[in-house]
Amino acid sequence: MLSTLKLLLPALLPSWRFFDVIAPSPRVQFTLLSTETESPHAWHEFRPRPATLSFATMLKRMIWNPEWNESLFLTSCAERLMEHPTQHSEDEIMTRIINDLRNNTQNSAMMAATHVQFRLLLVQRQGAQLHQNVTYHSRIQALHTRDVA
Amino acid sequence: MILDDAIRLTEILMGLAFAQQSIEHVKSFANEQRLFIPRLLLAVLLIIGFQTAWVIVLLLILALAILHRFQGPYNGGADRMSLLILCCLSLVHFAPTQHWQEVAFGYLAVQLILSYFMSGWVKVVNPEWRNGRALCDVFQFSAYPVSESLRQWAQSPRQLFAMSWGVMLFELLFPLSLLSITSLGIALVIASSFHFANACLFGLNRFFWIWIAAYPSLLWFQQRIFAIN
Repeated sequence: MLSTLKLLLPALLPSWRFFDVIAPSPRVQFTLLSTETESPHAWHEFRPRPATLSFATMLKRMIWNPEWNESLFLTSCAERLMEHPTQHSEDEIMTRIINDLRNNTQNSAMMAATHVQFRLLLVQRQGAQLHQNVTYHSRIQALHTRDVA
Repeated sequence: MILDDAIRLTEILMGLAFAQQSIEHVKSFANEQRLFIPRLLLAVLLIIGFQTAWVIVLLLILALAILHRFQGPYNGGADRMSLLILCCLSLVHFAPTQHWQEVAFGYLAVQLILSYFMSGWVKVVNPEWRNGRALCDVFQFSAYPVSESLRQWAQSPRQLFAMSWGVMLFELLFPLSLLSITSLGIALVIASSFHFANACLFGLNRFFWIWIAAYPSLLWFQQRIFAIN
């Protein structure tokens, strides 16, 4: 209860520091494994953004934008994981990766996989160049023993 | 705008914003549906004006449960503004006198002004915002642009420099719009256009609806401070 009230305080006394500093940005990537001990060989970006988006789709998203808002929440979870790793943040990302994989049953790699792992890449500008660093690896999660909440 | 009308309009707009947010969770995981389907029903009760005081208290309790569920805001600033409006409206409904009602509702208006002014201030003191580099970074590598094609905007530094200063000047000068109801009206149209652009470019649709829900407090506050005195 006390921790929830602590979370409420920034809403009652907001700092309103939107975009004050453009911090390094996390990306979530996942890999599918056929055994728990297999080394990852291919990492896939989780929910890559589309190449283009029409204005009509943008207008529709004014009302109905669940997947994007969920992705923004996962970005928050990734930032939390890099600052103060918690089981909660890792579970939130892992659960959604597994859920998306299960909804994409046409994926042959998914059909063969038994485990999944994700990692976080941190994208930042150094001078004029963009750099990416791997900053976090999740646990390796069995795909078929975990119920999606 | 009189106090009662401003409060009621805030309730309706917040109810619509909450309904929009909640609908986005209806097809989500069961533990989210358990929180957001009741929230959707309460939002409808708020819009139609049924027992608004108690509905707002229930929405506040539910908001705390949602905060606990996600271990923080689900949608950053939009959730924080939602909580702020909810807390202010709760205080308004249970305030012992009209004076305290005005203090609670005025606090929301002041925070709305600060939401623009402080956002402008923290940008203008940052050299990377002043030279346009920060907005280039937003488009080039932040998590926000909704499509890859929008990342190309980072290749137009002159336009982004102008946009950066446009945003900073608007945010910093926003408090001056309270000097007249006409200037405030113009400022709120520009501000809502700004939120609309953010919703289109960065997918921040929830910000658009919840910030607009707080505007009636400012329309009342302007008249209370500048027109009556």
